[in-house]
Amino acid sequence: MEVRLERLSKSFCANVVLKALDLTFPERKFVTLLGPSGCGKTTLLRLIAGLERASGGAILFGGERVDHLPPGERNIAMVFQSYALYPTMDVAANIGYGLKVRGVPKRERAERVGLVAKVLEIAHLLARKPRALSGGQRQRVALGRAMVRKPNIFLMDEPLSNLDAKLRATMRGELKRFHLDLETTSIYVTHDQLEAMTMSDLVAVMNEGVVQQFATPEEVYHCPANLFVAGFIGSPPMNFCEVTLAERDGTPVLMLAGRAIPAPPAFRLARADEGRRLVLGIRTQDVRLAAPDDADAVPGTVWMVELIGSERLVGVEVAPKLRITAEVRAEVRAAIDTPAAVAFDPARRHLFDPATGRALPRAA
Amino acid sequence: MTTRALLGRALLYGLLLAVTFVVCFPLLWAFFTSVKPKDEIFAWPPTLLPEAWTLENDRALFAGKDAYFQAGGATATAVPPSAFFLDWFLNSVVVALGTTAISTVVSTLAAYSLTRFRFPGQRAVPYLALVGYMVPSIIFVFPMFLVMVELRLTDTFLSLVLGYVCITLPFCMWLMWTFLRGVPVEIEEAALVDGASRLRVFFEIVLPTAWPGIVAAAIFSLIVSWNDYLFGRGFMNSMENLPLTVGVMHFFDGTHVDLGLMMASSVLMTVPMAILFALLQRHLVAGFGAGAVKG
Repeated sequence: MEVRLERLSKSFCANVVLKALDLTFPERKFVTLLGPSGCGKTTLLRLIAGLERASGGAILFGGERVDHLPPGERNIAMVFQSYALYPTMDVAANIGYGLKVRGVPKRERAERVGLVAKVLEIAHLLARKPRALSGGQRQRVALGRAMVRKPNIFLMDEPLSNLDAKLRATMRGELKRFHLDLETTSIYVTHDQLEAMTMSDLVAVMNEGVVQQFATPEEVYHCPANLFVAGFIGSPPMNFCEVTLAERDGTPVLMLAGRAIPAPPAFRLARADEGRRLVLGIRTQDVRLAAPDDADAVPGTVWMVELIGSERLVGVEVAPKLRITAEVRAEVRAAIDTPAAVAFDPARRHLFDPATGRALPRAA
Repeated sequence: MTTRALLGRALLYGLLLAVTFVVCFPLLWAFFTSVKPKDEIFAWPPTLLPEAWTLENDRALFAGKDAYFQAGGATATAVPPSAFFLDWFLNSVVVALGTTAISTVVSTLAAYSLTRFRFPGQRAVPYLALVGYMVPSIIFVFPMFLVMVELRLTDTFLSLVLGYVCITLPFCMWLMWTFLRGVPVEIEEAALVDGASRLRVFFEIVLPTAWPGIVAAAIFSLIVSWNDYLFGRGFMNSMENLPLTVGVMHFFDGTHVDLGLMMASSVLMTVPMAILFALLQRHLVAGFGAGAVKG
């Protein structure tokens, strides 16, 4: 079922949390709301669930307004960050509670609970109380409670954040698998970009109550709409440096630390813009180390080297306080305080307007 | 285990035994006195264990007053105080249960609203209530007596229940407040998403989760109302309406003390509370524990 938000806003007294959002979550898609703490993503999820009242605007499920309906009448299921299992009920009662409330006969309830428990591999835990379960098992019970009712929409509020790294990786795959099997519209809240990138069909990157970009994970990563998205997505974060647009031999170039580097061909840069100051963004993976005398590279001094497993991060200071980090293979050696140079992949450079923070328009 | 550890353990157990003896001795003495014949109670040198065991005191307490009225059409003044024991016992049960029911229900609902709904003074109310509980109850007796006179409620169970509720409610509310603060709001929201109504969420999700706190509040109310003497002494005057604590004082009339009846009544007063504690001890510890940690 499609979920549409029209001019949706939410304030707590004078604190505006969501600012007139217009957003459509397409049917059967897995959409992630991604953003830092306090950006309004959980509030948005709670508005869709009916746990908060909107200050303005409308929420539509399949074209029908639902913002006046209580949570129980929206046919949604929600997985909470803390799992929110009923502590006095056993696993079977936890999963079946929504069916019991809806008057499903006991026998049918037991069958459906058994089926879901089998799929989630928790059939042996049905008689246990939540306190006797591990984090991963609790997570599955919470998922089971959501799945058993066959809802129109799945809402998930950082459901993996309480799990250890290994289990989180496993559950990421399983959640995606369940979504593919159930084909239910899913809205997932997280601040973890890895979860967003690996699981989603679409990502809505949020900041300060505004959706900064709503696109596929690939697009969000490769064509960030603004400086916030560019800086938030990707780990290690993107390098940003101020450049000036110039022209050499009839072609636009970017002046960085006294060196002219070719302007990225993907952007429409007019001659009239010569002298304009821009922000160049380049991901660490798209920076390579070059010889200090390489004419196409920007020379500097190595100021930091970090091994991060199979890769190594090498920070090069190309001007006072202007440092560019390159992600290179672990075998590449670099010594601190030695001369080095950084070169950028021309196709992977991003340009932003420093005044608005927006990405410069790309050539069609 | 080393000798030092053994010695330490022996000392610890010795200390525990000594404390247990100090606590239990009055109870044991009361019990043994209640089953002694009258002449042995004041015998010298005194005995702890009775030489001759008897249930004459308990029999006198359970005889009831009807036997006296039927026997010779006697007036109430001619009936011995022991004949009213069953009335007093029943009065105390009714008043204690009434107090407990009102205190527990009202304090749970009040505490729930204090933890879940926002309004001015929301945070101050529980602490102010606790301050109110710290005032000695004797201060309330006379003003409340005047109120009861105005309301024409003196010598009624309702006056006692209202008096006890004033004493128990603030602490019960504070106790439930500390307990319900620890019940995550997400489980209620999960139930709302599951389709339950607010009322259903309260009864099926919140109450079972808060059960240890409710038991602790109920036991506290029971103890206060069962053991109180002040309000019973102040508000009640008919012999047949007295609570147990005030009634048993009639076994002592200034010139003569019937220790056998007094001790037998004391033992019988203790039994219901002892049974209750034995049955609900686990919940009580959990309830007061939650309040202690989270408050």
